[in-house]
Order: sequence, then C-alpha cells, then structure tokens
Amino acid sequence: MPKIPVSKLEPGMKLAKPVTAKSGMVMLGEGTELTATWIERIQDMGITNVFVAGPPIQTISKEEALDNLNTRFSHVEGKPYMNVIKKIVKEHIEGLYE
Amino acid sequence: MSNMDLKVLRHKVENINTLPTVPGVLKRLSVVIEKPRITLVEISAFIANDPALTTKVLKMVNSAIYGFPGRIASVSHATMLLGLNIIKGLLLGVSVFELMQKAMSGLYEHSLACAIASRVIAQKKGLKEPEEVSVAGLLHDIGKVILTLEFPTEYQAAMNEAQGKSISIFDAEKNQFNATHANVGSWLAEKWHFPRNLIEVIECHHRPALAKNAPLETAIVHMADLLVRARGFGFAGEIFVPEVNAIAYELLNLSSSDIKDVLREMEDNMESAEDIS
Repeated sequence: MPKIPVSKLEPGMKLAKPVTAKSGMVMLGEGTELTATWIERIQDMGITNVFVAGPPIQTISKEEALDNLNTRFSHVEGKPYMNVIKKIVKEHIEGLYE
Repeated sequence: MSNMDLKVLRHKVENINTLPTVPGVLKRLSVVIEKPRITLVEISAFIANDPALTTKVLKMVNSAIYGFPGRIASVSHATMLLGLNIIKGLLLGVSVFELMQKAMSGLYEHSLACAIASRVIAQKKGLKEPEEVSVAGLLHDIGKVILTLEFPTEYQAAMNEAQGKSISIFDAEKNQFNATHANVGSWLAEKWHFPRNLIEVIECHHRPALAKNAPLETAIVHMADLLVRARGFGFAGEIFVPEVNAIAYELLNLSSSDIKDVLREMEDNMESAEDIS
C-alpha cells in the first residue's frame, strides 16, 4: 500500500485508504477507482499524498537492505535464538522484493 | 556526571512539566491525569475542548495501532470503548509524538511500530486487552523523551558513547545517569497513576525476567521492541539488535509464522500510521 504524491496519481489507480479533509470527513472512500475528474478534485483539496493499492515501493535495493540487516545483527551472531529470528526477518525482507 | 544523584534525577523527572520546553498541551494534560480520581467524563471533556488533541486522538484510535473495525467518530465513543487506563496512555502518546521526533529522529517510528507489533503479539497470545499492551509498546521508551528534554547535553553524550564504544544506549545511559530510560519512564508513569502493569512493562522491557505482575505483557513489548529493531524501522538510540531474553522468548513461544505475521502487519501499517502526528 504505497503512499504517493498527488501529482503522481493516474486514472485507474485504486484508493487503499479514504481521502479525508483536515476535519477527518471522508471525501472519497477506500477502494474508489480514480478517474481524471477525481484526481483533479484531489489535487484541488490541498493534500500532498494519498494511499493507493498495490505492493509497497522499496526505497533501497535488496542487497543494501540485506547488508543493513547483517550490520544490525552483528553484535548478536550466534547468541541463543538470534539466528532463528534473523533468518525469519531475512526471509521477510526478501519477500518485499518479490 | 556519572555520579548523578538518583534522588535529584527522580525529582527533576517528576517535575518535568515545569520545563519551558514542554509544550502547553502536555502540561495541561499532566495536571489532569495526575489526579488520582479522574473520571472518564472529565477526560472526555478535556480532549473535546482541544480541537487539535481531538483530531489526534481520533486519528490514533482509527489507526492500525488499535485495529478496531469500523470508524470511531467521537471522543466520547473513543473513551467509552478504550476505558480510562488506555485513554490516559494514548493521550500521553499523542502529546509526546512531536517531542519524540525532536528528541531523537526516528523514535516516533520506532514507538509506532512497536505499538503495532505489541498488539499483534498480544492478539496471538489471546490477551483480553491487546490495546493495553499496544499502549505499553507506544510508551515503552517515554523515558528517552524525558531524558533528552531534561538533559539534552548529557543524553547526546550517552548517544555518542553508545556509538563510539559500540555499546547499547541502555548501558550508555547507566554510565551517564546512573539510571536508564526504563527507570525514568516508570517514575513518570507512577507519578501519573498509570496502571501497575504498564509501569512494570516500561520498567522491565529490557529485563523482562524481572517482571512480577505482568510477565507476559513485558515479554511481548520486549519482543516487539526487538523485532522492530531487527526489521530496521525507526531509530531508538543505536542501530544494533540486542540479544533476546531467553526467558521472555520461551514464555511467548512464537512460531516462525507468528513472527512473520507480526512483521507483515508492521510493514502494511507503518506508512499509514506515520500519518498520525
């Protein structure tokens, strides 16, 4: 569920979260398929980002993400249970890039 | 500095609301929640009188941190649904968010992710009030905010020491203050008449084996804290993952698919949760 800037919206995208006014009032509901008109209205609302459906966008490469993971675990290699936990987190991170 | 007197430290922490850097809303809030016999109605009125606070509370209760189905539209509904103890913790949470970000860049994301992870683990373990554990996850590092507010120079020194010597921020705090953020957070929680379990989680989240009243809740927040660091969300003073406490790990006895679910829920909800402040 990536959060993207209003200027990058394209017709056909689906809202993953409702678009709300500052007061919390829902202007467009979750699941709304965006049309050119809706996008124009959203741009006129003065908000910067909206959530659209789809896989999250990763900001760093997989190699970098796994390097960072190794660094984070560098103090606890071989400690009880830590390798198990690291393995699960590693699989989770790899899954983000599939 | 390393021979800082504990009594002086505690006194300063307990009178944190006299600091000029503490925002007005937190000062007013501390007056309200320090009352031992505050009622739900009073709390509700306090929130409703402050439009900015109302918005924050409603965003928070409708966020992934709690995971209530449907939309909660009014403060009175939120307070009735959550109850006194949770709403007190939540109010503190939303009022210190901005401070968290100023205190330590990334502490806010760390705390949010920890709140989400705590709730998911609590639900997996079948706890009756997962929201209470989630509030504990949100507030477990409140002591760090207080320490950076009250002693910015000394805390920076502790952070530098942690980085320079590759030790945990917890140990660096001990060297610098003779006390840790866990102690400091629990003093404040006690002063504010937080529930006993919440005080204990804050006090013991680094040493869950010491928890007497709420060992399970403490183990949950300990594990949530560790998983958030393992995934690399936010920043809580140092980048390294600490060693898991074996007693807590065994007590929780989470399967690898449980842990994967926790990670997935954090992943799915972090972006939207960051919108709360």
